[in-house]
Amino acid sequence: MFDNIKWLISPEFNQECEEKEIVVSTRTRVARNIEGIPFEIKMKNQDAEKLVQVVKSALEMNFKGKYLDLNKMKPLEKESLFESHLISPAIIKKEQPTAVFISEKGNVTVMVNEEDHLRIQGLSCGLNLTNTASAVYEFEEILGQELGYAYNENYGFITSCPTNLGTGLRASVLFHLPGLVYTNEIDKILKSTYSLGMTVRGLYGEGTEIKGNLFQISNQHTLGFKEDELIEKINKFARMLIDLERKARDVIMKRARFELEDKIYRSVAILRSARLINSDEVLNLLSAVRLGIGLGIINFLEINVLNEIMLITRPGNIQLYYGEILEEQERDIRRAEYIRNRLAKIETT
Amino acid sequence: MLCDDCKKKPASIFFKDVSGGQIKEVHLCEDCAKKKGILSEKKLSPLEVLQKLLKNTSHEDENVICPVCFLNLAEFKKVGRFGCANCLNVFEPYIKTMIKEVQNSEKHIGKRAKPGGRRAIEVFRLKEELRRALEKEAYEDAAQIRDKLKTLGVENV
Ligand SMILES: [Zn+2]
Ligand SMILES: [Zn+2]
Repeated sequence: MFDNIKWLISPEFNQECEEKEIVVSTRTRVARNIEGIPFEIKMKNQDAEKLVQVVKSALEMNFKGKYLDLNKMKPLEKESLFESHLISPAIIKKEQPTAVFISEKGNVTVMVNEEDHLRIQGLSCGLNLTNTASAVYEFEEILGQELGYAYNENYGFITSCPTNLGTGLRASVLFHLPGLVYTNEIDKILKSTYSLGMTVRGLYGEGTEIKGNLFQISNQHTLGFKEDELIEKINKFARMLIDLERKARDVIMKRARFELEDKIYRSVAILRSARLINSDEVLNLLSAVRLGIGLGIINFLEINVLNEIMLITRPGNIQLYYGEILEEQERDIRRAEYIRNRLAKIETT
Repeated sequence: MLCDDCKKKPASIFFKDVSGGQIKEVHLCEDCAKKKGILSEKKLSPLEVLQKLLKNTSHEDENVICPVCFLNLAEFKKVGRFGCANCLNVFEPYIKTMIKEVQNSEKHIGKRAKPGGRRAIEVFRLKEELRRALEKEAYEDAAQIRDKLKTLGVENV
């Protein structure tokens, strides 16, 4: 059963990582294109086939991992890869040959033939910008030697869209900020992110709703910075946000400790005993529990367990976990069952 | 549960308002949350900003065309995407200011592409050549291509 989605939980992803009560995950990606192959809007099927093949051989000659032909995968499997942040919605929609490579450790994925020929992405739990970036650049350098990137002296790496020119580097951090939401501070802070050259998005990127107090923040510009400057800039901003969130949590603890404890314990209780539960409700309940762990109110649960539940209870993943196509209500039943079983193993003390 | 404010749409944002010393559970729909400034209005994506800027500029020579991929300036302005790596050279004079506006910079100072080395591309090209040679039963050519592949580290072909 679990085999179906074992790619989701990589050992690397569950390593110890910093600030994991406030930062869910870190992603860093670079966009690269191969000189001599047309870009997305002018690409013919044969170009796409060539691209998928040359990238495959370049990866196989140098790295261990799984190369998945997306066009041969079932829609549910693709949805699951998307829900797990391993591939983008843009690549799912494409009809031409596309592929994704997942490194053996599970910490790097390479999307082939997305908007750019290559999107090399590093993933980690917690705040981990430097490590994800260095994992990405290890791939970037070797693939560059094998493939030859499109490059311009003035504008750097040439991307399909001019908004990615330069470094082609986008780093994003997924924050969990219930304190700033409860204290009503969040909007003021988000406004300042724009003026600092960052963008804010929901859990699944551009245009997605903000749910479960989860906010994804990434750099807006890719040109005019050195890579490590960009990373440092986001890191600094992240540290500042973490600090503000901690202060907001202190305020709530002072003003509304019992209300908060009540909400947190009730959330645990619902997760432990619900018989029907939808995926958004899970996000909201997990948000309260994660806050509880962060405040030291809950100490019988680990953040890693919450991350796992968050991942597996997404609509596609839950179906893949049970290995069947499920109607919405069946999904709600199975999701509740999965969470109950997962939490039943854990003693409340 | 319905939104506390409009009492029409379902509430999707829940929080405890602790401002003003009073603790109050608040349930809002997305629209009302936006109106109250709790959720930000959707910002234009960088591509949307670029497309807007491009639309507002007029160029007499909209027929300027990239000789490699045949994308012309008018099309580029519509989609905001390059058709190939050469497009940047061709359209640069027309889009310089827009790039600067969207990116807040006009000069790359990050890592540079390492020159040389396109092994995988070369291997792919040679394999295609080998296939054609074998089709034509040109076995001497095929042997030569195999040798070249060997020097590139490809053994069993
Ligand atoms: Zn409303
Ligand atoms: Zn072109």
